Amino acid sequence: MSTEVESYKIQKMVELLAPKLTRQVVGSLVGCVHCGMCHETCHYVMTHPDDPKMTPSYKADQLRKLFKRHYDWTGRVFPGWVGAKPPTRDVDLDELKDIAFGTCTNCRRCTFNCPMGVDTATLNRIMRGLLTQVGVMPEGVRVVSKDTWELGNQMGVLKEDYVETLEWLSEELVMELDDERATIPIDKVGANIVYTINPREVKYDPRTISEAALIFYAAAEDWTMPSWGWDQTNFGLFSGDDAMGAASYRHLQEKNAELGSQRLVISECGHGYRSTRCEGPNWSKTDQDFVMESSVMTMLRYIKEGRIVVDKTKNSDPVTFHDSCNNARSCGFYEEPRELLKLVCTDFQEMYPNRTENYCCTGGGGAMSMSEYTPRRLVSAKVKADQIAETGAKVVVTSCHNCVDGLGDLIRHYKLDCQVKQLVHLVANALVLEECAISKIPKEKPVPEPVPEPVQEPVVIPVEIPADRVKIADALSGRRILIVEDEEDTRIFLATLLQDAGAVTLEAVDGDEAIATARAEKPDLITLDLSMPGKDGVEAFIEIRNDPDIRDIPVCIVTGHPEFRKVIYDRPVRPPEGYMDKPVIEEDLVANLRRILETSRAEGS
Amino acid sequence: MEAHGVHYAIEVIHWVALGVMALVYVLRLLWLFKFKNFRDRQAPGENGDTTNWPALYSLGNVVMPWAMESTRKRPFFYVTFVIFHLGVVAGIFLAFISSLNRPFLEEPVVASIFMIILAAAFLVSVGRILRRLLRPVMRLISTPDDYFCLSLLTVWFGSGVLAEAHISGHLHSEWYLTIYLALTSFFLLYVPFSKISHYLYYPFTRFWIGQTLGHRGSMPASRG
Repeated sequence: MSTEVESYKIQKMVELLAPKLTRQVVGSLVGCVHCGMCHETCHYVMTHPDDPKMTPSYKADQLRKLFKRHYDWTGRVFPGWVGAKPPTRDVDLDELKDIAFGTCTNCRRCTFNCPMGVDTATLNRIMRGLLTQVGVMPEGVRVVSKDTWELGNQMGVLKEDYVETLEWLSEELVMELDDERATIPIDKVGANIVYTINPREVKYDPRTISEAALIFYAAAEDWTMPSWGWDQTNFGLFSGDDAMGAASYRHLQEKNAELGSQRLVISECGHGYRSTRCEGPNWSKTDQDFVMESSVMTMLRYIKEGRIVVDKTKNSDPVTFHDSCNNARSCGFYEEPRELLKLVCTDFQEMYPNRTENYCCTGGGGAMSMSEYTPRRLVSAKVKADQIAETGAKVVVTSCHNCVDGLGDLIRHYKLDCQVKQLVHLVANALVLEECAISKIPKEKPVPEPVPEPVQEPVVIPVEIPADRVKIADALSGRRILIVEDEEDTRIFLATLLQDAGAVTLEAVDGDEAIATARAEKPDLITLDLSMPGKDGVEAFIEIRNDPDIRDIPVCIVTGHPEFRKVIYDRPVRPPEGYMDKPVIEEDLVANLRRILETSRAEGS
Repeated sequence: MEAHGVHYAIEVIHWVALGVMALVYVLRLLWLFKFKNFRDRQAPGENGDTTNWPALYSLGNVVMPWAMESTRKRPFFYVTFVIFHLGVVAGIFLAFISSLNRPFLEEPVVASIFMIILAAAFLVSVGRILRRLLRPVMRLISTPDDYFCLSLLTVWFGSGVLAEAHISGHLHSEWYLTIYLALTSFFLLYVPFSKISHYLYYPFTRFWIGQTLGHRGSMPASRG
């Protein structure tokens, strides 16, 4: 029977759904009775009472329609009768994107309130994943995904910047404590603990790293931070991209194995904890083979073991605790932070509802990176704002960086008289250093400073250019190459590299400009980025291939999205002549382009 | 045709319908179980429970309205849910006992209990139809199958009241029972193809969600 599918992307989504269909997922897809019990459990519903589309079952129905139409025979035979009419056009995907990314933070509150045990949040994540895999996602998600694939962390922090920040923090801490033992060790092999963080800490809140370092120092812990595989957050959880989830998790897993550590500690981050501790092994299809714990558990253990001593009177403001949805509902982690909080502050007020019934901070599910949905998000934040205001607390404590941002935003928006802190702040502030484990270990005698050697004039050593580099120098001599790339830094890098190889470069920043330039200039080759604002590389590629004037120009895809390879190669047009993943190796790129040009010339002649 | 003859034929049909329903259910379960099983590969959560207790707890939440906020905060809705489902159970019993042990249903106390339950279920069912028709959110998420199932059950409950009234001697025409059995046969044949088959999935969906979240430590759900 015809399935009436028109859109290529939707066909791909149907195919991509198959491997995600576990028994449990199918149970959630067929189990919904549309009773509406989930309706009033969602913060989007509560704050948008006139918009029925906010109801969780409606959001899950978007995936359900696709499933029923293509995988459940009742939907194949009677699609209209059982609600199995999914969208069939590309334009409908924008609405799906809006629903999946813009009206749900995957907080899982509806899941806990479904009498049937339907996991609506998981269904929404699957829909996100399908959309992401066919290139339909909010721009923020696209950028973060790109950074994750290319740089191994979701905020695009360069390795040098990361290491420099740690070194700077380390120097400051050593100076402040006047103790060399307060160093932040990087890549120390055999340390007991490998401490992983959220890139937000390096970029916006390095104080949390210093405070964690102070606590490790106080506990006389043998710890280290990895120079790679340090981002415990995992955008795959938000984008629904299991491949990215697996890759990000493996970075940590492999680095931890390389350092031979016994325990991987995850700084306070809800989605980081869930994606590393809980989902990472599932995505990567490897059983968990090392201990992973939240830094909350580490700090609590230090206090219980007497390795650190705290004075709770140092934190005397009334505090309340916000449960991160990922910690509480998806990882069962809600008592330890309370236990710790009661040990380090004097006035703790419970927030209601709490634990697995708590409301989302509204910054979850990647919402903070999707600015187009900010107004809606802030409206939905009213529920949380009321919850906080009712406690009368001056400090909202949370164990999640995402929640810090989400709560900070709503506190500003609703003008609440309080601030957001994490447990690491309170523990560090309450430390009584002179009674901690480190104070019981005598300092080693200071090693005398080495006498600096006299400064000599720099010796210039002639650099010999390797033979293959000499070959590269004119490998593309005289060839006209159109570089299509939206990111200025990358575009300049590629242009410089290709010009150095003798090419004449043209540049375009999006799909429309690429097509126009290709038509006007007829370059010898096009390097094409895939994820760009406006007309993206996938659409541009199809258009180039369908235009008789430019269809013969060879195209080399240069992308940070290896997952798009199948999408590109499955198109009903001639595949690209080359496909390279970012970050590109200079020699490889030049050699690859030269090969493409030579092959195309040979075929042309 | 005499009502007795039709009645006999319908009785046969409704046993056949029961067989068909059972067969389709078996096929549905085979279909469900052909999908791969998900195994949570992470080590159990710090508060996790690797026994079957969380799964069984999750399974039992149907009789624990306090376990979920959605039922705890809406006691009236929960009571109507119980009445509605008791009505379904009573209706099925009525259909089969009327063939197997009719004198039992003629007992005045038994007859009264059946009629009260079925009448209450009928009223709840009418309320559910109105809710589905009048609330925008319910209209948005409802399919034709949802409306049809609810309408079918409403008529079936009403017809059940009349059938029991006939059995207990309050109504004389055999047609009340015959129509009821005919509706039951249709009901049995339609159920496995409709959303009413949710109760087939219920034990599995609840067990699985309890198992996964229990392993992680968030089931049984906790609140302070």
